[in-house]
Amino acid sequence: MAERDDIGGKVMALIEKATKSTAQEVDPRLLKAIKSTVRYSDSEVRLGAQTLMELMKTHDSQVRYLTLLIIDEIFMRSKLFRNLIIENIDQLLSLSVGFRNNMPLPAPPATAIILRTKAIEFLEKWNLSFGVHYKELRLAFDYLKNTLKFKFPDLQANAARIQREREEREMRTKEILLKKFDSLRKRFGMLKVEIDDTVKEIEECLEIVQWRGDDGIPLAILDEEDYEEIRCSYLRQIRLDSLKQSDKVEETSENRVVFDVLREKCKLLVTKHLISVQEGMSLLTRVEVSDNRMRDSMLKEFIDIRNNILATKKKYEDAGFTFLKIRENEETHEEEEDFWEEDDGKVGNDPVKIMAPVMRSQHGEGSSLASLSEAIKSTTETRSYKPPSKRKAVSSGNSVRDKLISEAPVMNWGSQLSNWDSTTEVRANHRGLEVESHWGRVDQDAVIPADKIAELNLQASVYREERTETPPCRAPLKKGGLCQRRDLRLCPFHGVIVPRDELGNPLVQESPLNESENQTSSSPATEIDQDVPMDETTSDSDPSQLARQIAKQALKNIREKDKEVVKKRAKLVKLKVKEHNFEVLREAAMASTSRSAVVDEEFDRVFASKQNKKSSMRRKKTTAKDRISERLFSNRSKATKPKPLAGDDEKCRDTAANQW
Amino acid sequence: MWKDIQSRETGRIRSNTFANRFKSRRISSLQLSNRKDFVSPHRGSINSLQVDLTEGRYLLSGASDASAAVFDVQQATDYEASGVIAKHKCILSVDKQHENGHKFAISSAIWYPIDTGMFITGSYDHYIKVWDTNTAQVVRDFKMPGKVYRTAMSSLATSHTLIAAVTEDVQVRLCDIVSGAAAHTLSGHRDGVMSVEWSTSSEWVLYTGGCDGAIRFWDIRQAGCFRVLDQSVTQLGIRPPILKHTVVSKKVSAAKSSLGGQNRLKTLQSRHTGSQIIKGSSSAKSSVEKSRQKRLHPGMLSTLDRATAHYGVVTGLKATNDGMYLLSAGSDSRIRLWDIESGCNTLLNFETGRMQTNKAIQLATSDDPALVFVPCMKTVKALGMWSGRTTRMLRGHYESVNTCCFNSTDQELYTSGADRQILVWSPGGTVEGEMVQDEVAEDEDNWSD
Repeated sequence: MAERDDIGGKVMALIEKATKSTAQEVDPRLLKAIKSTVRYSDSEVRLGAQTLMELMKTHDSQVRYLTLLIIDEIFMRSKLFRNLIIENIDQLLSLSVGFRNNMPLPAPPATAIILRTKAIEFLEKWNLSFGVHYKELRLAFDYLKNTLKFKFPDLQANAARIQREREEREMRTKEILLKKFDSLRKRFGMLKVEIDDTVKEIEECLEIVQWRGDDGIPLAILDEEDYEEIRCSYLRQIRLDSLKQSDKVEETSENRVVFDVLREKCKLLVTKHLISVQEGMSLLTRVEVSDNRMRDSMLKEFIDIRNNILATKKKYEDAGFTFLKIRENEETHEEEEDFWEEDDGKVGNDPVKIMAPVMRSQHGEGSSLASLSEAIKSTTETRSYKPPSKRKAVSSGNSVRDKLISEAPVMNWGSQLSNWDSTTEVRANHRGLEVESHWGRVDQDAVIPADKIAELNLQASVYREERTETPPCRAPLKKGGLCQRRDLRLCPFHGVIVPRDELGNPLVQESPLNESENQTSSSPATEIDQDVPMDETTSDSDPSQLARQIAKQALKNIREKDKEVVKKRAKLVKLKVKEHNFEVLREAAMASTSRSAVVDEEFDRVFASKQNKKSSMRRKKTTAKDRISERLFSNRSKATKPKPLAGDDEKCRDTAANQW
Repeated sequence: MWKDIQSRETGRIRSNTFANRFKSRRISSLQLSNRKDFVSPHRGSINSLQVDLTEGRYLLSGASDASAAVFDVQQATDYEASGVIAKHKCILSVDKQHENGHKFAISSAIWYPIDTGMFITGSYDHYIKVWDTNTAQVVRDFKMPGKVYRTAMSSLATSHTLIAAVTEDVQVRLCDIVSGAAAHTLSGHRDGVMSVEWSTSSEWVLYTGGCDGAIRFWDIRQAGCFRVLDQSVTQLGIRPPILKHTVVSKKVSAAKSSLGGQNRLKTLQSRHTGSQIIKGSSSAKSSVEKSRQKRLHPGMLSTLDRATAHYGVVTGLKATNDGMYLLSAGSDSRIRLWDIESGCNTLLNFETGRMQTNKAIQLATSDDPALVFVPCMKTVKALGMWSGRTTRMLRGHYESVNTCCFNSTDQELYTSGADRQILVWSPGGTVEGEMVQDEVAEDEDNWSD
């Protein structure tokens, strides 16, 4: 009994000691001691609960805070303690949260705030863990949350959200891996062939190089003999080194081409193929697919390829080439690229896939392959090296490429080309920077769907008019030379632009405008004019248009002249006849006075009628064809002068607007 | 319990006794129910709770956000935490958005006592509305001169369908659902009337408690009240001492005379109806009554008329189910138990704490053990009706409790208050509960370190 009392006292003492500190945490050793003591028996729990509730009533937030921490520790562990505390949960809450107006939290305000937040947090935690068993907890939680609108940290929802996010991320990475795996499977064969080719080429090159070197001195025999002579290991080492050094082939102007090819190939092998193979391996080890056998076989092959590449590399290095420098550079570069690929997954991966064949073909077409074959041909006639498969591929690729190029749209260079034709989603909030947003929580997994990306990347193409050379007017100028004005249809000084010869004479027949002008102007000589088209049609058998036009022009000129002569002559004749007639009639009138006036009148009338007839006949000469041409002309003239019309239109509109 | 079952089996106790013992054991172990939650749709303090009188299954609640809701007490709508917690959502709810809804707080919501097809709500917007439960439409409404504090319908009534409505007006109005108009006005109170209760023994007797501290008994067949309870008129013990009857009657002349008058009236009535069946003349009957009334009208005795039952407002009235006693709660934080027969204060001291003063409260009683549930601010106290001792403190509400409602069929208590919650207090420590406790092994000690 005494022992029990002792222990009871111990609990009280321990709790009091623990709550006397000014620290933010209960001393963990003391806490442990309290726990182990309370665990001892139910009476300890009761006593502990009682003591703690008493301590909660002290007018000091610090004491209350530490007491609350202890309560929480025991609450999460002991059922009896829970029952005891929950009996007075409202009291506990009013003391720790201070939601009653008449019972505010005591003195140190900073600690009081911590106490309150901690109490709210604990209440939520308790409600989450034991709310199902204790209605009181649920009620308290509900009251504080819904009635008093205390802000709870919302642990459960947060945890659920985080969990969900993580799951989603995992799913997404899995998906990406699968996609990558698919693409890898598709291009696996190609990659293999490519690597094999490269390796083979390197080996052949090495063979060439080494064969050349061996050609000079039969070193092997010398070695054997020298071994016997030189006993000192050190010296022998030097000897060996030097021998090895001599093994290495000097680069000369003769075999430079081979060396270049070799270097290039090795670079390609190490920087591109080796890395792609390693990537593929890591992908295969990470990806989860149903078809395990396929994956394993692929992995095996990859390992073989890698070993092959490494062996080749070693050989290359053994041959005395160093691509340390290159490698260093390349590797750092490559690593960066690698990082980016990893980071944005598919998006980064795709362009590589698409670009690869093009790059390859360029390689083949351009420097390396051609030079290689050339080099081989030039250096070794005996060994005829032809990569037939490669050639074929290149050539076929070439034609395909040409075809594609002829079809391909011409695009401006820009970043949008990097994800050309990609169908992956893009993460919206993934900048690669871990910068806290100041505008609230950011959904890390928000994605922009592929079609939206395509929409966003849509390039506006501006229509550009194709510049065509507008021909100069080339009409002869008075001061000599030709008119250099460039107008589309009409030169303001020389009329419609027509093709002209070096001297500025128009080559083509006169435009219908001129023709009709001619026709209207030369209406008195219609009879002759009438013939012209007839002539034209008949003489149209000439095959050469130009000659025909020239001839026509000449003919026309001549006719014009003839016409003028005829006209003058006719006028003269007419005048003479008129004079003569007048004379005769006057004489006649003077001779006979009685009828003179009548005769005179009649004569006048007859004469007038005759003149009338003549003019009417003249007027009548416009035929249907003429009319059609006239109409056509009028239409054309309208068409050639759109500007004034538009102006008119504008004017009309203006007036219409004014009318309103 | 097993002993009881055995003795029942052997026939040593009768079935009724067995049931009563079982019930009383359950009632005395009431505790906050963990497995039954009412999801309250109310956004204001709940002013009224009532379980329907026919099935004891539907709980009607009226709240100060002008909403009323009906819950099914037995059938849960859904379950939480793997079926351990039953959630009872309201199966019917009317609020301000309803086209005929009340505008202001509903102060009382009661069931039509005959069936659950109707319920009646009284509101601070001066209206009493009668609702059809099935269509959730108003079928009748009554305009009152002031805020309606409480309404009541007699559970015994076979000859009338009157709603007794007490308002901030001094008059008590009786509204007839059949005619749709106020049938009577009972005047006598000097201030607004806070609480009203029909007699559980007679369908014509009405008790009202007013803000003037008076409790008046009315016979609705007569004008005026026939009794005003006086807290100073007391008797020792819960029954009037029979032996000293004459002495007491002499001492407390006024009260006794009125009681005697009542007795005489009753005998007279019975004689009258017995002798004059053939005649059946109601006029003669009424004339006789009127003469009695005039003679015995307490309004004539001004000293008696001014008697008070409480210092302050009478906030709650509750007649016991046997119809012999009346419990009243007042703003003086007292519960008084009145002997209805004698109209005496039984001088029983109930251990109440502080009680709400400005709002009507609803008391609840259970028969066996005879307990009265009293809302005392944030707690509900279960007090022994004959001892006045506190048997249980029901603590669960975070704001003051307004109403208690005891469901005798399930032996459950429903309480609600200003924290908008409806809490269920159900018998604990039952076999059922133990089974569930076994099932959910989570709530155990966990001294992992």
